[in-house]
Amino acid sequence: MVLYSQASCGTHSSGTLQYFLIKFRTCYDMCTQRSPYNWSRDLYQRHGETIEQYLQNTVLPALNDKSGQGGTILLNELKHRWNNHQIMNKWLKKFFTYLDRYYVKHHSLPTLEQAGLRHFKDVVYENVKEQATGAIISLIDEERDGEIIEKSLVKSIVELYENMGLGGASLESYTNDLEQPLLDATRAYYARKREEWIAKDSTPDYLIKVEKALAEEKARVTEYLNPASEPKIRLVVEDEILQKVQMNLLEKEGSGCRVLLANDKSEDLQRMFQLFSRLDNGLQPMASIVESFITSMGNACVEKRQAKLDSGEKEKNDDPEFVKSLIDLHEKYLGVIRETFSGHHLFQKALKNSFEVVVNQDVGQYSNAELMSTFCDRVLESGGEKLNDSEVEESLDRIVQLFSFLTDKDLFADIYRNQLAKRLLNQRSSSDDAEKLMIAKLKVQCGTQFTSKMEGMLNDLAVGSDQKSEFDARMEQHDTKLSFSVQVLTTGFWPTYKTPEVSLPANMTKCLEIFTEWHDAKHQKRKLSWVHSLGNATVKSIFGKKSYDLQVTTLQAVVLNTFNDGKTFDFNELKKILNLNDLTLKPLMHSLSCGKYKVITKTPANNKINSTDSFTANAKFSSNMRKIRIPMASLDPSHNKNRVEEDRSWTIEAAIVRIMKARKTLKHQELIAEVLSQLSFFRPQPRDIKKRIEALIDREYLERSAENSDMYNYLA
Amino acid sequence: MQIDVAAAQKLFEDIADQEDPNVANMEGISTLCERLGIDPLEDIRVLVLLWKMGASKKPAEISKDEWMQGCNNLQVDSIDKFKALLPSLDTGFLDREEFKDFYKFCFQFNRQGTHKTLEKDLVIALLPMCLSGGRVPSDRLQSFCEFLETTKDESYSKITLDQWRSFLDFCYEVEDLATYDESSSAWPVLIDEYVEFMEKKAKCGKK
Repeated sequence: MVLYSQASCGTHSSGTLQYFLIKFRTCYDMCTQRSPYNWSRDLYQRHGETIEQYLQNTVLPALNDKSGQGGTILLNELKHRWNNHQIMNKWLKKFFTYLDRYYVKHHSLPTLEQAGLRHFKDVVYENVKEQATGAIISLIDEERDGEIIEKSLVKSIVELYENMGLGGASLESYTNDLEQPLLDATRAYYARKREEWIAKDSTPDYLIKVEKALAEEKARVTEYLNPASEPKIRLVVEDEILQKVQMNLLEKEGSGCRVLLANDKSEDLQRMFQLFSRLDNGLQPMASIVESFITSMGNACVEKRQAKLDSGEKEKNDDPEFVKSLIDLHEKYLGVIRETFSGHHLFQKALKNSFEVVVNQDVGQYSNAELMSTFCDRVLESGGEKLNDSEVEESLDRIVQLFSFLTDKDLFADIYRNQLAKRLLNQRSSSDDAEKLMIAKLKVQCGTQFTSKMEGMLNDLAVGSDQKSEFDARMEQHDTKLSFSVQVLTTGFWPTYKTPEVSLPANMTKCLEIFTEWHDAKHQKRKLSWVHSLGNATVKSIFGKKSYDLQVTTLQAVVLNTFNDGKTFDFNELKKILNLNDLTLKPLMHSLSCGKYKVITKTPANNKINSTDSFTANAKFSSNMRKIRIPMASLDPSHNKNRVEEDRSWTIEAAIVRIMKARKTLKHQELIAEVLSQLSFFRPQPRDIKKRIEALIDREYLERSAENSDMYNYLA
Repeated sequence: MQIDVAAAQKLFEDIADQEDPNVANMEGISTLCERLGIDPLEDIRVLVLLWKMGASKKPAEISKDEWMQGCNNLQVDSIDKFKALLPSLDTGFLDREEFKDFYKFCFQFNRQGTHKTLEKDLVIALLPMCLSGGRVPSDRLQSFCEFLETTKDESYSKITLDQWRSFLDFCYEVEDLATYDESSSAWPVLIDEYVEFMEKKAKCGKK
């Protein structure tokens, strides 16, 4: 038939409209004639046959001719033939539209276009696909090696593959015939590269290459492959050049993760972080190395402190250098995690874990809890570190961060309270606001119960200052010749102090009475006990012709008063007069007769107070200064370790009883776990918890279950 | 069968305390033992007898009521009948539960007055007596007593009922010390330390 011979001999798609219309009309006529002159079926068949023949006889041989002459030549030919086919297919479809519209639809046959494609696939594609794939892969490998290739050519062939997946959007042919072999080749290629690189490159250099390779592969897909391949290729590359050598890279001598950390190579570390984030669980090994590195840095600080102590330096409860070194270390790695590791939670946890180990390594006589509390003391006391407000806040913020890692938080609290009390009572606190700020930060960390006593202390002082003017007015009504003020402390908030019942001179006693009267009128239910071991006084004293203002403690003032009018007393007499014991009187007398300002003369003159000594006012005393402070050793111990231990025993027992009361019966290990989870401020050993359990069994709060030696029952 | 109440009562009167006729204390009990021909300090059957008679109200004594009740339960009202009873007082006849109860009685009965604990030295003497006859492997018993003797821990100068009872249960349940896992053990700390003691011993032995 004319139509076909015309179609088959030319690939010119130069059909003018007229040409087209003639063909279309002819087809139309053929398909609409009445049977037996309806040529629909024949037309359809012939359509298929003609195409097939053409492909078989012309196209395929041409292609086979080109094979074996190098990949590009074959590909070019294939591209050429495919283009032709597409054009032909399109025009035939146009000519025979009528067939498509009725006959094909009516008989549910493949459309002309589909049939055309099908023929191309069966005759041409299936026979050349292997070679084509091989050619493409070689080109890609060449490009990987840095050669320039004809990207548009590859892209066209890729489109062919994409179209060969019949049934609409199916990428089946592309996936099976091109993508899979490509993935295999990619894997082989990068496996080779990996071996090459890992042997001679340092970790940072290797990683730069990885970054580059991944970028290239991504670009490649965009340029001429199907987007579906992007994740698959990426996974293969990541697997071959990252996953398989992950530990090798991390632990490489001289350039591994540890070395990078030690040399602050933030760019390299950041690259490492970003690359390993791509892998499943890719960051945990890195985080572990970071954790162990920070721990070793922290341990170095601890060892430095140990060395200091070993070299014979005197032990004090103050080591600002050490505390600062830990703070600085923490700050540094907080920054590193934020910037280099994007604040990732695994690395935050690593920092936390390592500091929990380091901060709890006590060295020497004084615990780190104490050192940290003393550090705060320095920041908060007047005349301590000279810092402005924001520096103070920053310091406190950082020490609280360090504090959060401490296991023995209750110990810190105990010491902190003692030091706070000293600051407050001796008016050595530089700023009320700073004190409040610190307490607020501790409260955020540990809750209200932790800071309630501290807040109580501040509150007592606030109340005292509020009521001062009222009491001052009352004092003025009496004529005691003494200027007198009182600070009331609520028992329980403050540390326990000794309350020596020293015999006061009459004028002092009168002051106490006035206050007691005033106070009792205000608060009937409260009982006052005087703490004379605290308290300060200014004693105006005249030695020879000069008068001095001696700043002393209450007890020192009482002693000085006793020596008015040149009286002389020996130690034992003083004990009786003042009603004080040795433990109190000795340091008292020492401060007045053996210190820098010897306002009292001791006979014999030496540095030790003996019960045989006798004392009298030093008539020859003189000093250039008018105001003199005579310090005295504190009568109360800095803090009571035993009390902390006792409190812990009690707290553990209370937790056990609380838990057992709720659960009635519980297995041993569950009880231990519950108890530990309820104790936030210290961490007892399981044995210590067991001892408390045994104590409670003894006191019949609990019993061991008769059926199961592993269980406990609550006894109501 | 009804016993001769008067005879039983007379027996009690012979051993009752001078100052309190309603109670027989260790002096009287010793007298009884002599009449029975057993040694109160060495023979565990004294304790078994007292336990069976129900002398549980106060340590180191038996009340008249307990005595009468006990005689009735055991069907004894004469020294001869008591003597006939002696062979049956072997602890070997008791099953595990009964023995546990008897073992607890041994502790409770040997306390001083209102004390809740026993002195360690007494425990060291008492344990072998109570646990003789293979109830507990003899090497376990021996090594435990050795541990008690050598430990310098002050808190173990007195032993609690819980510790006493746990030792027996421990012997029943943990035959092989190698299987002992302190981290999950609910046994009293005393037992943990005993196992530790044995481990150290084994290490030294290997050297």
